[in-house]
Amino acid sequence: MDFGSRILFEIPIFGGMPFTETIVITWIIGAVLVGLSVIFVRNFESVPKGAQNVIELIVEAINDLVAQTMGKDKMGFAPYMGSLFIFLTVANIVGLIGIRPPTADLNMTFALAALTFVMTHYFGAKRKGIGGYLKSLAEPIPVMLPMNIVGELANPVSLSFRLFGNIVGGVVIMTLAYQGLSAVSGMIGLEALPIFQAGIPIFLHAYFDIFAGVLQSFIFVMLTMVFIGMAMD
Amino acid sequence: MESGNFIIDFLEWLASFERNALILAGSAIGAGFAMIAGIGPGIGQGLAAGKGAEAVSYNQKNAKKSTLVMLLGSAVAETSGILALVVALILLFMNPLIGVEGTGIVLAASAIGAGLSMIAGIGAGIGQGYAASKGTEAVGKRPKLQPAIVRTMFLGQAVAQTTGIYALIVALVLMFINPFV
Repeated sequence: MDFGSRILFEIPIFGGMPFTETIVITWIIGAVLVGLSVIFVRNFESVPKGAQNVIELIVEAINDLVAQTMGKDKMGFAPYMGSLFIFLTVANIVGLIGIRPPTADLNMTFALAALTFVMTHYFGAKRKGIGGYLKSLAEPIPVMLPMNIVGELANPVSLSFRLFGNIVGGVVIMTLAYQGLSAVSGMIGLEALPIFQAGIPIFLHAYFDIFAGVLQSFIFVMLTMVFIGMAMD
Repeated sequence: MESGNFIIDFLEWLASFERNALILAGSAIGAGFAMIAGIGPGIGQGLAAGKGAEAVSYNQKNAKKSTLVMLLGSAVAETSGILALVVALILLFMNPLIGVEGTGIVLAASAIGAGLSMIAGIGAGIGQGYAASKGTEAVGKRPKLQPAIVRTMFLGQAVAQTTGIYALIVALVLMFINPFV
């Protein structure tokens, strides 16, 4: 039994370029999110009604979160953080409709964590100047330099594995739960009518997909904001 | 065969078994060891529950808010228990070491090591539970600050999880991309 990401198709360039489930599902989520934002953002009015209310609520909540966590001078990050939060939330709870969450693939989470890492150091160096940035690595005393560097390099690892570990844990447990329940249905001779798979997994989905999914995307975005904000202050 | 050295005798005795039997025995021990991590979330959630009871006792109007924060914090504190359960279930039901080329005794030891490493979850579980208990206490005292308290609590709990995540990395490396074979 394998719970890794399956390869769906290969493009025969560079000696075969494999496309996994993760990439294809990410494309689909991206297309849906872009499509929805194009549809809903048309015809905005000064007095909001209908869907515009909901969108303004989401945007305001994200703006408030960025202002409180990073400070009012870094509001330029709000669009990135908002997109990241919405994308991660959708990607994490997509398991509800039976699709493998793309965040259950380390390539995906590590790519996002690498983005955070690059942004942290690029904006830190930009704000403080190269000299101030290098000096901040040697604080509080120069002896701490190697430890600070190791600590900085450990951040993307823990950031990506935190998301990956939580989501892949949910995937493994859900897979085993469905198999166990279908075995129970088989034991009482109901292979054709799998009643046990119908209702019982709801509680598992509520915890592993909705609670853990939304919480982990929130934590990923919060930690990204804290890292970048701390590097810039 | 009898060299007089107990450890060498023991290892030779182990190596005399069939390869798959050794790996399965190691996986069984490893799965059991992994679940020792459950100590951490147990203590942590107990702390949170105690503080929840205390918070409700001095401000009954906020019972709902305190209970909500207690449940949210405890659910996060459960993470290391769940990661340990995942490692144990992988060892039990989808053992990746069986099909791997390599010495049986090394693979068996890797299975035990993967389980042992998850014991680190004790620390993360207790720490996160402590954060949850303090969050519950704070919301009991100042219910109006609930969003800010919960946000800080989640952030701190996520950082407290880090060593548990490193343990998970080592366990996954031992099971799936073992460097010793």
